[in-house]
Amino acid sequence: MHFQLNPLTQKKIQRFKSIRRGYYSFILFTLIVLLSCFAEILVNSRALLVHYEGSWHFPTYGAVIPGKVFGLDYSYETNYRELEKHFNNDSKNFIIMPPIPFNAYENDLKTSAFPPFPPSFKDSHYLGTDTIGRDVAARLIYGFRTAIFFSLILLVVSYLVGVSIGAAMGYFGGLFDLLFQRIIEIWSNIPFLYVIMIVSSIMIPNFLTLIAIILLFGWIQLTWYMRTVTYKEKAREYVMAAKALGASHSRVIFYHILPNTISIIITFIPFSLASGIIALTSLDFLGFGLPAPTPSWGELLSQGSNNLESLWIVSSVIVSMTVILVMVAFIGEAIREAFDPKQHTTYE
Amino acid sequence: MKKLSICLVTLLWAASLFSSASLAATNLPDNLLWLTNDQDPVYASPNAIKGGTLRNMLISFPLTLRYVGPDSNGSFRPAVLGNQMSLIEEHPNTHNLLPALATHWAYSDDNTTMYFKLNPHAKWSDGKPVKASDYAFTLTFMRSKEIVAPWYNTYYKKQIKEVIIYDEHTISVSTTKPKPRDELHSHISITPTPQHFYADMSNFVRKFNWKIAPNTGAYQISKIKKGKSITFSRKKNWWAKDLKYYKNRFNVDKVRYSVIRDLNIGWEYFLKGKLDSFVTTLPLYWHKKATGPEFDNGYIHKLWFYTDAPMPSVGLWLNQDKPLFKDINIRLALAHAFNIEKVNQQVLRGDYSRKHNIHSGFGKYTNTKIKAREYNLDKADKYFNKAGWEKRGRDGIRVNKAGQRLSIPVTYGNEAHTPRLVVLKEEYKKAGVELVLRKMDSAASFKSVLEKKHDAWWGGLIGGRKPQYWGQFHSENAHKSQTNNFTNTDDSKIDTMIDAYRSAMKTDERIKLAHALQQRIHDLGAWIPRLDTPYIRIAYWQWIQFPDVPGTRMGGPAISAFDLSQGGLFWIDKKLKKTTLTARKKGTTFTPVTRIDETFKVNIQ
Repeated sequence: MHFQLNPLTQKKIQRFKSIRRGYYSFILFTLIVLLSCFAEILVNSRALLVHYEGSWHFPTYGAVIPGKVFGLDYSYETNYRELEKHFNNDSKNFIIMPPIPFNAYENDLKTSAFPPFPPSFKDSHYLGTDTIGRDVAARLIYGFRTAIFFSLILLVVSYLVGVSIGAAMGYFGGLFDLLFQRIIEIWSNIPFLYVIMIVSSIMIPNFLTLIAIILLFGWIQLTWYMRTVTYKEKAREYVMAAKALGASHSRVIFYHILPNTISIIITFIPFSLASGIIALTSLDFLGFGLPAPTPSWGELLSQGSNNLESLWIVSSVIVSMTVILVMVAFIGEAIREAFDPKQHTTYE
Repeated sequence: MKKLSICLVTLLWAASLFSSASLAATNLPDNLLWLTNDQDPVYASPNAIKGGTLRNMLISFPLTLRYVGPDSNGSFRPAVLGNQMSLIEEHPNTHNLLPALATHWAYSDDNTTMYFKLNPHAKWSDGKPVKASDYAFTLTFMRSKEIVAPWYNTYYKKQIKEVIIYDEHTISVSTTKPKPRDELHSHISITPTPQHFYADMSNFVRKFNWKIAPNTGAYQISKIKKGKSITFSRKKNWWAKDLKYYKNRFNVDKVRYSVIRDLNIGWEYFLKGKLDSFVTTLPLYWHKKATGPEFDNGYIHKLWFYTDAPMPSVGLWLNQDKPLFKDINIRLALAHAFNIEKVNQQVLRGDYSRKHNIHSGFGKYTNTKIKAREYNLDKADKYFNKAGWEKRGRDGIRVNKAGQRLSIPVTYGNEAHTPRLVVLKEEYKKAGVELVLRKMDSAASFKSVLEKKHDAWWGGLIGGRKPQYWGQFHSENAHKSQTNNFTNTDDSKIDTMIDAYRSAMKTDERIKLAHALQQRIHDLGAWIPRLDTPYIRIAYWQWIQFPDVPGTRMGGPAISAFDLSQGGLFWIDKKLKKTTLTARKKGTTFTPVTRIDETFKVNIQ
């Protein structure tokens, strides 16, 4: 293995592992995120496998298979749950459904009662349905996937902007620093929520525009920290040495200073991740987020709070949110401990 | 200087007064046929008792007590206007005219003018008599720049020609253009404006913002707690209290509107008995919230009251300027794949009824032979294939030969409709159509529709008492922004019929044309009908009492305290209120009551 971790980094990881609740939270969290990438296999109205008249079908990731293929009388997408019932009296054909046999969009309505339906194992609605008969568990899981990837992408872009501007402010100092300080002060006084409300009233926000809007105001926080650390690092000998060797500004910033400020950045990551999830959820809750019918936690939360008598809606989303945010907080806490500069310094 | 300008303004005003109202300059035509009405049935109950206070809620405190000018078009306006009588009113059940401030009326032959004999007993709330000049002053008032109401300025200039005073108790009002007989009165029946009160109109908007203007109706504002509540008191010696159609109405002594800023909190107040009634038309309220001990023990009653009033033209409006909707096959296919009945039956609890006609609830003007296209995927399939959308893509959505997906953006502005559209979206997938939901802020969505930027619009318009077609379907309003032709209908047959409809004066002829127009709109299929709500539902504490038929054809149960045409039918039984409140304390119960009144229900087979 030609990739050798720095002994100091190894020590940090060691220390991170020793903080057990943070470490286990990290494993669990990573596992959940990975699993959510394959949500189509676990939560889907399409069957995993259909064996019909001697041929095998794997509908999960493929094209829509019309009902006619399986001898049904319609040309739109097969309803696999009904197909399963249809096959029950048939020994030749069989079907394997995912553990939660619903997607996040379809309405499982009944003729005898009105949604929301309470949790029921018989109907495979393990967390019940929402007010228009969509499976709460399915919406929760797909909503999580949306939220976490939203948050991750937001994190990457806002850190790119925030770190670059912050480091530049600290590194160049002087007029550049002064100018950007004022710009940031003015910028941060623009009421973020109003901007969102105005923007989403004139256009329909989608995943990327929402990220762009939140990024517009989200990069500020990190710049202050980066500016301060860069100021500190800039004065050290290794920076002077690099400069003396003729390194360019960007090389000094990104190759020499940045690795020494990484602990600050990493410490903030979990909290930014959490705030990204919260931002999307609250925007969806207020109705300014992703357009319907995108599955989202905020939308579930607002449905739940309007239908408090259907406790399963609000409780499932609140419990999931609490669990995820607590896990993230544990991870953050452990990282902060592990990277505490009071115990490890990278400069001599 | 200031004095001079005020003088000038007054002079200008006087001049405009004389120009719009010629004082006894002409004589009454000789051949007038004076009409009145005391034949139509009374709709109030002789059992009504006077007394008590009705407690209502307001979501926000009004920004003004004026009924014209800036900020006046708020939810409190009906309460102010509801106490302003007109010359004549319409009987809410028979639609015949009823005397109000005028005792008799007559028509001119050219369908532009109506003559009125005024009731000599009519009085303003400050005791002054209502004069003929107060009607002429309405024109001056509504046309004046001081009221800062451009719409009214234009309307009273362009639609109303003049008010002529023949003597102290005889006037005529004319419109600029002839109007059909059955519509003329709705333009001409103006309300008087107290000239003595508005003697100085300078700085009108600010000066009269919180002034209580004299009125002619049954109640007047008696107490204002700014930001908190407004109380109306019944006039003990109201001049019209013994007239046939006002007797036994307007029974409660006081009507108090308190500000409660949230509907859910308002509901809690109602359950505690601090509000007397609550509108529960929405399925959520009627089926879920309006349950529990107060209902089971019979303290609060429920009433489902069917009406037969003009319904808003709610539907899916397809913009025919978009290439996709130019093809009638696509429009018809979309109508046949529109599974609104599933939404109604399985999400909205079957409370609504399918709309068939763009003008439902217009009585004889509604062509009941028209039936909305039924949900039928086979038919939809045929029309789609005809239009060249036979193939389906990997995701089950249709594609045409050019490789375009059949994806339709639907613009809408009401968050409460998202559940309905979400179900429809899933249903449309079966037909191979993708709906893209474009929810916008309600004002922004309407703006984009007015600018004709929409593909399909999920919405509707509330119209007047008679169907209108010109604004919504005439080619003159097609292909341009800021008009109501949301489908961009440009059809020569429709144009001819609309022109004929607009110039027809005879009711029979107009009805015939209206039916033909509705049929043509149905045939073109650019408007897909949604659901009607031909009823109102309320919950009320049992001390609120109603006549045998608790409301009128035009409106719901008359829990509206003021409206002079149909309000004020209920009364409060004080004894029953006491018994109910003690019963609730002691835990004794009554029989629960859910009343369904179908007197005015229209059955469409």
